[in-house]
Amino acid sequence: MLDALDKELLKAVAGLEKIPKGAYNIRKNGKLLGRQVSANIHIETNADNTGIVITIAPNTQNESVHIPVILSEAGLHDVVYNSFIVGENSDVTIIAGCGIHCGGDQKEGHEGIHKFTIHPNAKMTYIEKHYASGSGKGKRTLNPTTQVFLKENAHAELILEQIGGVDIAKRVNEASLDDGASLLIKENVLTEGNQIAESHNEIRLHGRDCSANLVARSVLKGNSKQDFIASMEAYNKCFGHIECDAIIMDNATSDTIPSLKARHSEAELTHEASIGKIADDQLMKLMSLGLTYDEAVNRIIQGFLKTT
Amino acid sequence: MLKINNLSFSVENQEGSEKRTILDKFNYTFEQGKFYCITGPNGSGKTTLAKTIMGINTLTSGQLVFDGVDITNLSITDRANAGIAYSFQNPARFKGLSFRQLLSIAAQTDDESTLMQIVARVGICSLDFLDKQVDSKLSGGEIKKIELATTIARNPKLAIYDEPDTGIDLWTIGPMIDLLKKEQIAHHTTTIVVSHNKNFLDNADVILILKNGQFVYEGNIDGAMPMLTDLSTCESSDFCEGENDVRCFR
Repeated sequence: MLDALDKELLKAVAGLEKIPKGAYNIRKNGKLLGRQVSANIHIETNADNTGIVITIAPNTQNESVHIPVILSEAGLHDVVYNSFIVGENSDVTIIAGCGIHCGGDQKEGHEGIHKFTIHPNAKMTYIEKHYASGSGKGKRTLNPTTQVFLKENAHAELILEQIGGVDIAKRVNEASLDDGASLLIKENVLTEGNQIAESHNEIRLHGRDCSANLVARSVLKGNSKQDFIASMEAYNKCFGHIECDAIIMDNATSDTIPSLKARHSEAELTHEASIGKIADDQLMKLMSLGLTYDEAVNRIIQGFLKTT
Repeated sequence: MLKINNLSFSVENQEGSEKRTILDKFNYTFEQGKFYCITGPNGSGKTTLAKTIMGINTLTSGQLVFDGVDITNLSITDRANAGIAYSFQNPARFKGLSFRQLLSIAAQTDDESTLMQIVARVGICSLDFLDKQVDSKLSGGEIKKIELATTIARNPKLAIYDEPDTGIDLWTIGPMIDLLKKEQIAHHTTTIVVSHNKNFLDNADVILILKNGQFVYEGNIDGAMPMLTDLSTCESSDFCEGENDVRCFR
């Protein structure tokens, strides 16, 4: 069912060595490779046949669902529309991710439009890793869109990683928060060579006492380019914070544009942004502990991009 | 064990027009297993000397011989692997590195029991420190304790501590001195502490007072005290040189 290449991609994006236990939906080259539902997690193809609808029953506790996508077919550009409905009082982890293997000159790509509705008092952790490999010259494109609607006192944690090999990425993250809801987004992107990555974030804080924290870390090597644009708009007594740090190396370029929009006098919004090379004192410290210059650089980047 | 021959260190002035010499043809030999305390006025070159030994500053001229090996042209990494360890006055803070990870790099092992043993050996850090992130959220005292622990974890032949007591609470200074003395005796570690703290001076085998890039005193606390307690303001700096040098220490 899974060949060696599939296994490599699945391991990179979803930490899977084999077909997982519990609910899963694995998509390969635009087609369903395998699906398993559980008593509390239902997965079905949507009405338009353009994606899946995952429905998590209320009060589901400590369950997870894997929904990885793998691509290894030259010239394929796969687009999916997935919806997630997380029931009241549940606590679940959703592990997504897309792995592309490009062996030829034709481009390959995936666009995943994921819409989450998190019902009151539910808690969801969403982990999405993007990875591309292969010796082909075809461009690998990954354009994910994540829309999160958090109902009263719901909590979502999104861990979004682009770990290497992706030539072009345009990410869109959108979120809307009701009363007491909270959101944490951790986004980590590594680019090298001539890779381009854009991240557009729009977070709307509608509810009283809701809070959002967007933490983005970027590492840029070679001639790569990354743009990070984040807007946090507050309509109530709430808290929002944007933290975006970039380590820039070689001839890479970066635009970082955090934007805070207060539409209520009790809104509390903050941001911190930095772009810079690796600090000398960090390198000196690790070298004084016996690491070489290159080892120290790698260790600092590894820690910087660590999400969990 | 560490021989410094004719070491000079100069930096460009901010204007870039001329160089400012911080250490000028400096000579000294640190002996194996002794506890040295270097003190002196601000700007006298204490940190510069310490960083030059570690290789963080590149010397302008001169030679460093460590355990009979010329280390003048060795990198920081090579000096670290030769047995020199350095505790920074202002330790680096990292995003995404915990104390456990830093200690693991220092000790070259990720074996949990070994790391616990090091923390127990250091004493001044509690075990729950291991999970702390070495980032900007740490207090000044906490990061200095971590800095000291990573230095000790190297099991160095020569340990240099640059103002280890900065930010450390009064209750910890005594145990910190006891720790450095214990390390000196148990492992025969040559120890150099840069400090203004009399508690360190009291415990040193040799006190060195640095002024204008030269040691102007070498000896015990009794001999150093008159110089260290002299608070008079020098009014003779215009003519105090050569034969007229009164060798004051401020």
